[in-house]
Amino acid sequence: MTALTDVASSAATTPEPSPPPGRGSRTPLRERFPGFALPALVWYAVFMIGPVVAMVLIGFLSWPGMLVEPGFAGLSNFGRVFADEKFWAAAGNSAVQIVIGLPVMMVLAFLLAFYVVQKPRGHKVMRYLLFIPALISAPATAMVFYAILNPDGLLNGVLRPLGLDGTAWLANPSTALGAIIAVELWSGIGYSAVLIAARLDSVAPEIVQAARIDGAGDWRIAWGMYWPIARDFIGVVTMLQFLSMLFNSAQTVLLLTQGGPGTSTTTLSYLVYRKAFVETDLGYSQAVGLILFVLGLLGMGVIRRVLRASH
Amino acid sequence: MARTALRPLRDRVGSITSGALAWIYCALLVVPLYYFVVSSFKDNEQIFESPLALPGTWDFSNFGTAIDQAELVLAVANSVITTVAALVLTLLLALPASFALARSNGRLGRFVENIFALGFLIPSFAALFPTFLLAAALGLFHSRTFVVFLLPATALPLSIVILTSFMRAIPRELEEAASMDGASALQVLRQVYLPICVPGIATVLLLNFLSFWNAYLYPLILIGPDTAQRTIQVALPTLKVDAGTDYGVLMAGTLFTLLPVYLVYTVLQRQMQRALISGAVKG
Repeated sequence: MTALTDVASSAATTPEPSPPPGRGSRTPLRERFPGFALPALVWYAVFMIGPVVAMVLIGFLSWPGMLVEPGFAGLSNFGRVFADEKFWAAAGNSAVQIVIGLPVMMVLAFLLAFYVVQKPRGHKVMRYLLFIPALISAPATAMVFYAILNPDGLLNGVLRPLGLDGTAWLANPSTALGAIIAVELWSGIGYSAVLIAARLDSVAPEIVQAARIDGAGDWRIAWGMYWPIARDFIGVVTMLQFLSMLFNSAQTVLLLTQGGPGTSTTTLSYLVYRKAFVETDLGYSQAVGLILFVLGLLGMGVIRRVLRASH
Repeated sequence: MARTALRPLRDRVGSITSGALAWIYCALLVVPLYYFVVSSFKDNEQIFESPLALPGTWDFSNFGTAIDQAELVLAVANSVITTVAALVLTLLLALPASFALARSNGRLGRFVENIFALGFLIPSFAALFPTFLLAAALGLFHSRTFVVFLLPATALPLSIVILTSFMRAIPRELEEAASMDGASALQVLRQVYLPICVPGIATVLLLNFLSFWNAYLYPLILIGPDTAQRTIQVALPTLKVDAGTDYGVLMAGTLFTLLPVYLVYTVLQRQMQRALISGAVKG
């Protein structure tokens, strides 16, 4: 997750810091290429940019298996992708995941952050707890939820005495996607809340005090004062969680449901994984990867528009 | 929450709901953790019968089984080697780069900086398959070595952004004084910049420690199932079996996986929280 951590912030702020006046002209040396950056740049080009460029190229190749000689396919991979029901099922699942999961996550995270910055009793314990999901790896989280959601697991064990019938949450087509989203909410809300709280902490308490004296209630203070102030920052956190949901859900899906039952939990990023490493339909896989990449950029643009600073 | 007794009912209801919401979420955080910790001392029958009860006896045999079955000690050793080597390599690459970028304010420097900033947009995961081809082409497939090479590349953008912003804050007079004494650029980096950047380096180390230790898909695909090489995150899910998982053993293994991170978090709680926050806010 940390690899993505900063995507959003750098995209949200234009990375054009104006140089301090007069510094550049002092010695000609500084105009030279920053040579010490070269090893990092080469490393980065080989291991990150190279594979992404290769992904784009492979998207236009016909390459039905590792041992087969690839040939040029033009746009036919994309034709196959768009004609494939599985792709549309995966696109639908990713859409549900983001359109439902993301707003729920951000609103709850904002309310939590708002509560924490009021410094109620126990807020220190709460801050400590909120960080925990950010520390736990995807496999560990998945294993805990695998135990909770299995037919004999904690959830059904709690529901049974209440007279409710549980189900095999991960194996039932109508609950499996919801279960995956729930796991993502579980791990995403706490970290988002902590980040938003760090921004809300900088709001001067006098302003809030004044509003309270004027008779503003919590609800109005939260949505009328804190939200507008933190709005662009919440946009940054939203982008971060958006990319994490869009790209990293493959891990959770792989660990918990392998995309099933049927295609009910196949998300786009899991489809990229599955087509590459299970079905070895490499051109198809990388074409979906490219589509995902474009969707990621589009989504960031939308989030930025919706949550643009309002002041 | 209630600061004055005179507030209207609607507000009191409002603050009660937001408080209730917050504590419900905290309960939802704690209960699964409690459940999995107590489960690691039970057998399947006890887990299914009374999921939330404390174990009758504190029986550590599940831990032994998990460690034997998935060769977790070896896996932890592999994770430690991979993580430490990748952390060192990241700093070796990022420190000089940040130093150069912080000192340069020409167009080229800004261009290089933007290239790294673009990295935040690269969905490295989508390019997993070409990365796998690269490993094969370098003859490093199915080895830890390639992951040690790869992980620093994934961490460079964030590390460089954080370190550069630290180094920019260093007054140039300090450096000019050192240069006047005839110090080379490398000496300036070592003797002037590094000591001042210790907090930034700590932040970068903590953030990267978390992401390297917790990495899953890269090690899974690139190192593969070989028990002599695989990391703890890859070893853990092998305890889940399609037919008849022993949940006690699985939870014991999970607990074992989390201990190192949890130890670091407990000891360095404040620094870790600051690192995680600045990791998202910088840039």
